[in-house]
Amino acid sequence: MSGELLRVDDLKMYFYTRDGVVKAVDGVSYTLNKGETLGVVGESGSGKSVTALTMMRLVPMPPGKVESGDVFFKGESILSMKEDKIRAIRGDRIAMIFQDPMTSLNPVYRIGHQLAEPLVIHKGMSWKDAEARAVELLEMVGIPNPASRARDYPHQFSGGMRQRAMIAMALACDPDILIADEPTTALDVTIQAQIIELMQELQERTGTAIIMITHDLGVVADVANNVMVMYAGRPVEYGTTEQVFYNPRHPYTWGLMDSLPRQDLTKKGALSPIDGQPPSLVDVPTGCAFHPRCPYAKDVCKTRNPELVMLEKGHSSACLFAGDSDFVRKSAVSTGRSE
Amino acid sequence: MSELLRVEHLTKHFPVEQGELLPHVGKSVQAVDDVSFAVEEGETLGLVGESGCGKSTTGRCIIRLIEPTDGRILFQGEDIRRFKGRELKAFRREAQFIFQDPYASLNPRMTIGEIVSEPLVIHKIATHTERLNRVKEYLEIVGLNPEHINRYPHEFSGGQRQRIGIARALMLNPKLIICDEPVSALDVSIQAQVLNLLGELQDEFGLTYVFIAHDLSVVQHISDRIAVMYLGKLMELSDWKSLYTAPYHPYSQSLLSAVPVPDPVKQRARKRIILQGDVPSPIDPPSGCRFHTRCPIAKDICSQQVPELREVAPGHLAACHFAAPNPIEVEALPDPVVRHMV
Repeated sequence: MSGELLRVDDLKMYFYTRDGVVKAVDGVSYTLNKGETLGVVGESGSGKSVTALTMMRLVPMPPGKVESGDVFFKGESILSMKEDKIRAIRGDRIAMIFQDPMTSLNPVYRIGHQLAEPLVIHKGMSWKDAEARAVELLEMVGIPNPASRARDYPHQFSGGMRQRAMIAMALACDPDILIADEPTTALDVTIQAQIIELMQELQERTGTAIIMITHDLGVVADVANNVMVMYAGRPVEYGTTEQVFYNPRHPYTWGLMDSLPRQDLTKKGALSPIDGQPPSLVDVPTGCAFHPRCPYAKDVCKTRNPELVMLEKGHSSACLFAGDSDFVRKSAVSTGRSE
Repeated sequence: MSELLRVEHLTKHFPVEQGELLPHVGKSVQAVDDVSFAVEEGETLGLVGESGCGKSTTGRCIIRLIEPTDGRILFQGEDIRRFKGRELKAFRREAQFIFQDPYASLNPRMTIGEIVSEPLVIHKIATHTERLNRVKEYLEIVGLNPEHINRYPHEFSGGQRQRIGIARALMLNPKLIICDEPVSALDVSIQAQVLNLLGELQDEFGLTYVFIAHDLSVVQHISDRIAVMYLGKLMELSDWKSLYTAPYHPYSQSLLSAVPVPDPVKQRARKRIILQGDVPSPIDPPSGCRFHTRCPIAKDICSQQVPELREVAPGHLAACHFAAPNPIEVEALPDPVVRHMV
């Protein structure tokens, strides 16, 4: 893998609302290389989607406001680009798949037309050529009878087929980066397996980098090279998939993993959930945002805001104690790897 | 243990209007077709399957939220389809329902106190003060602050709302609770809290659950026995352990293999059985075995003859002509270790 495609640099996106300032993204940094898959994990309200929308410049401003930081695509600042320039990139170089394929397709246009639109806009194709290409794209994502299906409206497609159509649309222009925001959450497991396999195949063929935003640790374990765990708008842990799954170094990551019922393990009995609930982003706890729910929290956690600190190559954690050698999780879940 | 609920040949077809010019009732959606199972007192039966498999319809038929087309539903030996008036009302006290959507299942214009005490009001139980005390007691049991009794649903988070729904279901001391996807709208950490709560309540009140969910890990965690449904039919029924370690039905096998496990090395080494295509329409289900259009091992007979649900191993039923166990390696876990505190 070579070549840095995308660099997010201490990005902060706040929303100024009547109820106060919502710190939706509060200091996110990472880089994405060609052909790589980054998994972004977190619960609702952790800022994972807003981070993606910000780098696509899809956040309405106001109420949104970039407090600090920037996003660089191939070295160029996205946030200070002119509108026509970002429009040329959005959908062409960076494409996005949304969670809900029903609301993200236009119900009054035929599928083929919607697939052809980016080709006409970005590639300057004629509508006729673009619609012919749309049929090929539908075939590529495994829609049977693509020629007649292209004349269907979204409501005539099943959920899985709509998501395939979304993927076909996102990949129409061979983007460098594909942002997938919970692409399989609305789908059944057997369809989820199809979609994930499809995305992996396409990635192998085209070398597209993928940012996979999900709450499903299983999906991340399956596809990601690197993982970023987010909590209350901040990254709390970042590392390779191996590092984060087999040697997690943040109590929130531990909590997430212990909360999961596991079908591959025979343990029955109580799960170990994280106490309490995620904080309101208007009123993020002082110090470490996780401290009110953290079973390991000490007084210092209430006052000091932990930075993301590098622990070993490629692995960092935003916990004040992550570096301590005796700060270990005795997990209930085995690692599945002999150490 | 004695049998609390028995479902025999349950069938539910929803008629569909067809024709644009002259609408007429023609075909019907065969949502549930000839489903039979029994639930013992104090156990949890998991009903699992993908959308449209009929699991929710089955749940709704069991407490007569909808009327079945055919079949019998025996609750403590009595056919609930015959219940009318007072009998039906008495049955409603015994069987309760927890809904999937914690946002849509609470009336936004009622306070939590009104919502949770409504079952008592409907069944004319206790005086106003007693009701209030009981509401507070149950809010506490489900882990909510009893002082929030005058708040409205929008002031609560998804997990808290689901707890409100659980408190409401518990108010009448039911024997049976149908949980329809009670945790699927919740975040993982909150989901684990609610699952633990349901487990605790079962022990405390001796509840029997029919737990409907599409998430196989969740179902495995909470269920004693599990029924796998596909397109209105029961495909496999067994205790959780033999289903997860040696599923017999090719549909269960592919379903289990499709769920990614949160362990990168293990997950990437797993063999996935990817099913082709989508679930066919329940209006015109495939002939013979309904799964044959997507089944990796289907043969001619599968499209001609409906496979019977038969015992393939002691206590393990599967509806497949070619049912054979497919062992899955499941790792035994050491007992949970107490966390090391710094």
